[in-house]
Amino acid sequence: MKVFVVGAGQVGSTIVEALHGDHEMVVVDQEAARLTAIAYRYDVATFEGNGASRKTLTEAGISGSDLVIACTSRDEVNLVAGAFARIEAPGATTVIRTSNTEYVELWREGRLDLDFVVCSELETANAIARVIGVSAAVQTDVFADGQVQIVEFDVEPGGGQGIVDSPLREARIPHDSKVASIIRGESMTLPGGDDVIHTGDRIVVIGSPEAARHWGEILAPWETEVTDVVVFGGGRVGMAIARALVEQRIAVRLIEPNRERARDVAEALPDVRVYNATGFDPEFLERERIGRTQAAIFAMRDDAKNHFAAALARVHGVEFTIAIVHEPIAQKVYEASHVDVTVNPRQVTAEEIVRFARDPRTHQLAMIEGDRFEVLDLTCRPDSEYVGQVFREMPIRGALIGAVVRNGKAIFPHGDDVLLAGDRVIVFTEAANVPTVERAL
Amino acid sequence: MRAADGSAGARRRPLLEVDARGALGLVGTLVKYLALAPLFPAVLAVAYSESPWPFLGTTAIVGAAGLALERLGGETRTSVGSREGYLVVALTWLLAGVVGGLPYLLAGQQHLDRPVDALFEGMSGFTTTGATLLVDIDTLGNAMAMWRQFTQWLGGLGIIVLALAVLPRLRVGGRQILESEMPGPEVDQLGERIRQTVQRIWLLYVGLTVAEALVLALLGWTGVDDAMTPFKAVAHALTTIPTGGFSTESRSLEAFAASTQWVVVVFMVLAGLNFALLWRAAVGRRLRVLARDEEIRLYVILLVAASAVLAVELVGKTVSGSDAPIRHGVFQAVSLMTGTGYASTDFAGWTTLALMLLVLLMFLGGSAGSTTGSVKVLRHLLLGKVLRRELRQTLHPELVIPIRLNSTPIDERTLRAVTSFVLLYIGLFALGASVIAVDSAIQGPEMTPLDVISAAAATLGNVGPATGPIGPMLSYEPFSDVSTVVMTLLMWLGRIEMIPVIVLLTRRYWRV
Repeated sequence: MKVFVVGAGQVGSTIVEALHGDHEMVVVDQEAARLTAIAYRYDVATFEGNGASRKTLTEAGISGSDLVIACTSRDEVNLVAGAFARIEAPGATTVIRTSNTEYVELWREGRLDLDFVVCSELETANAIARVIGVSAAVQTDVFADGQVQIVEFDVEPGGGQGIVDSPLREARIPHDSKVASIIRGESMTLPGGDDVIHTGDRIVVIGSPEAARHWGEILAPWETEVTDVVVFGGGRVGMAIARALVEQRIAVRLIEPNRERARDVAEALPDVRVYNATGFDPEFLERERIGRTQAAIFAMRDDAKNHFAAALARVHGVEFTIAIVHEPIAQKVYEASHVDVTVNPRQVTAEEIVRFARDPRTHQLAMIEGDRFEVLDLTCRPDSEYVGQVFREMPIRGALIGAVVRNGKAIFPHGDDVLLAGDRVIVFTEAANVPTVERAL
Repeated sequence: MRAADGSAGARRRPLLEVDARGALGLVGTLVKYLALAPLFPAVLAVAYSESPWPFLGTTAIVGAAGLALERLGGETRTSVGSREGYLVVALTWLLAGVVGGLPYLLAGQQHLDRPVDALFEGMSGFTTTGATLLVDIDTLGNAMAMWRQFTQWLGGLGIIVLALAVLPRLRVGGRQILESEMPGPEVDQLGERIRQTVQRIWLLYVGLTVAEALVLALLGWTGVDDAMTPFKAVAHALTTIPTGGFSTESRSLEAFAASTQWVVVVFMVLAGLNFALLWRAAVGRRLRVLARDEEIRLYVILLVAASAVLAVELVGKTVSGSDAPIRHGVFQAVSLMTGTGYASTDFAGWTTLALMLLVLLMFLGGSAGSTTGSVKVLRHLLLGKVLRRELRQTLHPELVIPIRLNSTPIDERTLRAVTSFVLLYIGLFALGASVIAVDSAIQGPEMTPLDVISAAAATLGNVGPATGPIGPMLSYEPFSDVSTVVMTLLMWLGRIEMIPVIVLLTRRYWRV
């Protein structure tokens, strides 16, 4: 496949790193230094020029590309590059990166002629909201616009009342969810009704976000649900995080040093309490009892400031800290100072684009437990042998239908439900079975 | 203003930085058209075989004065901008008072035959106050009585607004003048252009007036209310919708049946609503627009609460009849809160608690964008929110709290304007009350502190009747000329919401 990438920043180079092995790639950027860095490390063609110029794009050889990725840090350049790609390479799949949720909404409404739009801020916010939303989760991912969630849990002693040590058929499993896998040491099973979850197992659950939260409560009753979060920094990332958390009915306080920006955030997010202050003022932190918060998220523009503020918050008693990474090295620094979770927006964006690039036909893939399991998001063909069948009667072939998205709404199927043509099906399957499942549906 | 000749070296500064001539010219044009207003009672006078001359004389004098002013302004009118707007508004309303009073003066009307008194009555008319110097309204002829009502109707939505709606060629610069004349801190735009907005609001205004006149006339015609003639129906419709309060009867609305009073209550409540919202609700047939508005909710809550307290207070006391306590409670609460000033009974004799409440209601007013006077519910609402924010910020000084109205954030400048308006209002009220108190101590009449307070509140808030010697069935006649002038000024200031006059008193208005 011929992949054309506009932008050789952090996102661009991460994409190149992931895709250069299997694909023929061209990278366009205005800065020669970035291109040189990429060209030295990977076997890709580079072209110096403005990505928003049609001339540059044609000269760089955009025509004939199979996939065009516009991932500069400027929305306008990405939008223009995406539009030119449609003209110069009509057959190509186009993906752009944006930092403006407005464009994502436009694209979802079908008003932007692009195949995929990724918003760094939104992806980051969702990643953080997922971590905060489900207590005891080891890893989690969402599908179908957040309606379906897959979570990995460790079953620890003391948790799992009503579920552990009884056959699944009798276990009190939260509504709208299924156990997709039980991992015990090296063995992994797609469980049936007779299988039993034991303490010390790692399990994978698929279900609605509410059910996922419920699972978290059952498996780790000692971990109280996070209801109070402080976000440091009211930039675009901070604001997106605050918005995502408020949607989960979490009380959010946000600290923004710039007066006008603080006002803007307060106007845009009525349910967030916004302080016009720096996060470095011990008196302020003390007065507002910031130390009592259950989680603090550091989303300022400057890694060093995030780092210092996170350390200061720890001094004040905050137990759970999440920091945004701007320079890749900051991740190591944060980890060295015991920041619990780090999220790199550029990394998250690049991963999202790479996921899409690997196979645009299956909506989305997630890899659980390394690459032993995959989650597929497929649309059911009309001629599939499963159409019209009741779920109860479907033969299990090392795969499990976790949810069905019908007319944009997620349904968690029970034994009596029927699969229809055109349904989007979220399938949890062993990696080896992927081609079988794709063929069957 | 002509620039000094260049040969003198440094150019001389013009005396004034405000284009006073242009402003006067525009005032002249407005006054010129206002001269047409007395033609309506003149026609009535002929029909009732009364003398039309006071009205025709007014038309002649005012018309000539208007033309003269317009000539003075010359062709410089294009330079009338926002700065001149204040001058235009202040002067137009002062002259409107003169126009309103001139027929009384020319007719030699009893109690109104001196310029000070005629101006008071005229100002009370155009500002929709409803305070009167007349002791016995029955001595007015039909035409003169109708003129009195008609001045309130003309003043209800604003003279310049009216001119803007009716006269296509009037080139008045945009929103700013409109905002200094329309009641309330903000003007809700209803069309793409100011003129369209204004025309729609006027259409609604006329519609409501016609509707009320028809309903009242119907009550009279069907015999439900024998006292209600078509003449009186029109006369009262003309003063209900602008929340004016002049009546053709000395005993105000007490002269009419209970059913009439209830109808008037309904129209007073309507007149106290935001006309822009009312238009949207009426045209879009969506009453939810009204129900969802925070200001209107508070307006209704206040009305209901005040009515309930009054009704409870009245039970078994001064009034008789089965529905009387409720009817009189509701009527007085609505009448005084909207600043109409009708009375369904002589409330001057009510208990102290009831009177206190009535005086308090005079400070409320109706919605912004209605025809009511006083502070208005919107300002109270916003001020309440500002206070609540201050309290929260005492505990959390760094907290940023935008104030929202119907979930839209309100600009901090608007909030500051609201706060200063209320402070200014209270200041002027206190000043006015003090002067009236001193004057009544020297020259009479004898008044209690509450009476003095109510006199200042009723004139500044364009309400009308007060308590004690100036109760609803009595007249402002006992006051000396000093108090009369002060109260005339209060009515004038209150109607144009003080700022246009007060900025004129600052040096920086006239100089750079």
